Amino acid sequence: MIRSGNTLSEPKADFYAMLCLRLGAFCCFAGWAWVHYYWEGPYGGLLWANSTYELAESFGVTWDDFVGTGADDGLIQKWLGRLYLPYCMLSVLALTASKESRLQKAGLIFGSGLLSLMAYSKYLNDQQQLPTLIEQGGQVLIPTVLVLALSVGARHRLTLIVACVAFLATFAGHGSYAVGLWPTPPTFFAMTSVILGVDYETAKLLLLIAGILDYVVCVAIAIPLLRNAALFYAALWGFVTALARPVAGMSTSLIFWGADQYIHETVVRTPHFMLPLFLYFAWAPRQLKDTT
Amino acid sequence: MNYLRTQTVVCLAVCLFAGSVLGQNRRRRVDLTIPDVAKKDIICFALYTVHDKTLKLTAQLYPLSSDDERTARLEVRRNGEWVEVDSVDIIEQGWTAPFRVNDWDDTKSHQYRVRHGASAVYEGTIRKNPVDKDELVIAGFTGNSIQPVHGGDISRQDIIDNINRVDADILFFSGDQVYDHNKHYAAWLKFGRDFGDIIKDRPTLCLPDDHDVGQPNLWGESGKISTLKGAADGGYARPGVYVQEVERAQTSHLPDPADPHKIGQGIGVWFTNLNWGNVDIAILEDRKFKTGPAGRVPKQGPRPDHIRNPNYDPKSVDINGAVLLGERQLRFLDSWANDWRQAKMKIAVSQTIFCGGAHIHGAANGRLHADMDSNGWPQSGRNRALAALRKGFAFHYAGDQHLATIFQHGIDEHRDAVWSFCVPSIANLYLRWWEPLEPGQNREDGAPDYTGDHLDGFANKVTNFAAANPEKKPAGKLLNTRAAGYGIVRLNTKTREITMECWPRNVDITAPSAKQYPGWPRTIHQTDNYDPPSWGKLGKLTFDVDDPVIQLIDSATDEIVYTLRINGKSFTPHAPKKGSFIVKAGKESASKVILSNARVGGKAVHVDLNE
Repeated sequence: MIRSGNTLSEPKADFYAMLCLRLGAFCCFAGWAWVHYYWEGPYGGLLWANSTYELAESFGVTWDDFVGTGADDGLIQKWLGRLYLPYCMLSVLALTASKESRLQKAGLIFGSGLLSLMAYSKYLNDQQQLPTLIEQGGQVLIPTVLVLALSVGARHRLTLIVACVAFLATFAGHGSYAVGLWPTPPTFFAMTSVILGVDYETAKLLLLIAGILDYVVCVAIAIPLLRNAALFYAALWGFVTALARPVAGMSTSLIFWGADQYIHETVVRTPHFMLPLFLYFAWAPRQLKDTT
Repeated sequence: MNYLRTQTVVCLAVCLFAGSVLGQNRRRRVDLTIPDVAKKDIICFALYTVHDKTLKLTAQLYPLSSDDERTARLEVRRNGEWVEVDSVDIIEQGWTAPFRVNDWDDTKSHQYRVRHGASAVYEGTIRKNPVDKDELVIAGFTGNSIQPVHGGDISRQDIIDNINRVDADILFFSGDQVYDHNKHYAAWLKFGRDFGDIIKDRPTLCLPDDHDVGQPNLWGESGKISTLKGAADGGYARPGVYVQEVERAQTSHLPDPADPHKIGQGIGVWFTNLNWGNVDIAILEDRKFKTGPAGRVPKQGPRPDHIRNPNYDPKSVDINGAVLLGERQLRFLDSWANDWRQAKMKIAVSQTIFCGGAHIHGAANGRLHADMDSNGWPQSGRNRALAALRKGFAFHYAGDQHLATIFQHGIDEHRDAVWSFCVPSIANLYLRWWEPLEPGQNREDGAPDYTGDHLDGFANKVTNFAAANPEKKPAGKLLNTRAAGYGIVRLNTKTREITMECWPRNVDITAPSAKQYPGWPRTIHQTDNYDPPSWGKLGKLTFDVDDPVIQLIDSATDEIVYTLRINGKSFTPHAPKKGSFIVKAGKESASKVILSNARVGGKAVHVDLNE
């Protein structure tokens, strides 16, 4: 339930704000847990590098132990397959972490670290396109924002600053791709063309508009008059873009309708629409004070 | 607050570490900036083929400015004078100038030059059709990484020098000429700067593969749009116009397509054949029509296209409706295999080989039971493709795997179909190893355990004869520890022998001491491409003419078993031990029935075709 900003009391605003963070962090961890359990984490760019082997060797790990002999799995295959466990635990922590428990909060910070590592690997996999790294700011930082909200409060300046960084990173990164400052990922064109049934030139124009709007919301949240509209648009756009993967790809002709291929793509992107909602609720009481 | 301060310091440290790593990676990036060139150097390179008295030549230009002329001219030197033979509008999307000259005289060589504006000139040689040569030399390449980490920044001059030393008749680039997924045009220009000196003087076959069209793997599904990261849902990840530009740059100089109907997103097709030096070369597209596996085959591994479970049932992934070459291409192959006009030997070139030709994938990701990116899947489609190829005794020349191999393929039994040679990468982006867990059956004396009869991960019958496995541990910039190199295939139209050579980089391949990768060279006979071990021999046929075409037809089904231009005046056809066969023969096509109920162990027959 979302009400107009100037009628929300502080306790209610805090409740909804925390709910957004917990749901966002939970879905992000749970989605990645599914990817690690059912598919494979995107660590190729990070692990298949000479420097990684050298690092492993410096700890006394032999080549065969590291990569396997071919007849059996090495450390990489064994441990990558087990990474779903910490992600599962982190998803539980996202729902249950309390203000008092330093261990739980440290766990969530560790979760941000794990997500950072994965974001960096995805950046390497994507031929080192900077927006790939930046646009994952929302996913990487939402556990940290949750920890800050638990520690110092959802409406504390530090919490809001980190949440804004996460929000801006996600939308600026996405916008940089959409307007073509960096090569637009082909899936952007593909999803636009398939869902809307438009040709390449139209898809390009629509993406340009969407990219400009991504930048506009980044600026507009700094302007009190435009803030609510910008946050509502951002939440809606974050939800739509997260949902675009299954909408474009799923089909009744596929096994499980293709759900196992696409649904997690939406789930891991939950922070993209939960962060704007969090900011809306966190700022709502302040706006109430401003207006009174 | 102390706790918060600690967390902040940790976060800052992580950011600083990430920043330093990012900085290092940025320094290692390849600069694909398109150089500013003088107007006189605006033509980067040119590729051509001549087939059926038609010259097709595509000139590749650097970007023109708005006030530059938009036409390019092609001139040839006749009696000491330059004569314009074609003039075309330059296509701005990709800056290509595709020339076409009909009624081309291929009985002699011609000097040519492409001109643009007042000063730009690019010269080369259109070779004569080498029908008088006994041996046609085709140099084969794949995987042109330009990344320093793969040794891709090392000069290609060794390749240029060696191709000139062996004076290759044809160049064959099987795919991944370009690895950059966003800047094909810039990378293609670099490819032209690297290889233009050998391309300009001989026919060149370029087959764009997955990376060329901007995606890590390609199951084209007749032009569908792919929306899944990794593209295993089938289709093209990049927009149709991007793919069209890539194909225009790399394939518009190929002979006209056998069946030119376009596929989805307006993407063209280019499967066709090139007849050169009495060798008929089928140029195949083994990605364009292929079905994507994601969501269609039961999940068997960590990616929709990877099978890790060694206990899976191979039949479970050979699903109904899954396409490999597609009906249009199979129809072309059936017709091509029967057509022996001006041809003594046949080979097929395509992006990759018709089996799962590697066990270990990636530097560290270990064993994959099967990879659906290979042409081992779908098995039914693979068998149909091989069955079509063996009807014309076609040798298969391909790349893509980053691992040089020689296989003889089997459909119903081991060794009953064609041989393939997969060439090594120019600079190897991604390492693979052929390393079966069990020694192969029926190996040659002294041959490594990995050779011999095997089943690949899809239970396809394959017989390995060589594999240029890289060293187990990657060795940075070094090319040859990553098993880089290229192939040379010599097709002797006099003896009908096919010799495969596999050379490492930076070796003078004409030096007596030069060594190929272990397992090479290997020579086979043309008829080895369809000589099942279980077959017997019909009676010997002798003819009154040299090199007639003969055709074997199954009497029960009326299906053509094979067609072949034999070598000389006699031939003993091989055939299944059961059944009876119609044998047809003729000088240019097998039009005359010479035996109607031939069986294995039959009597010798003399045939007059001059009657």
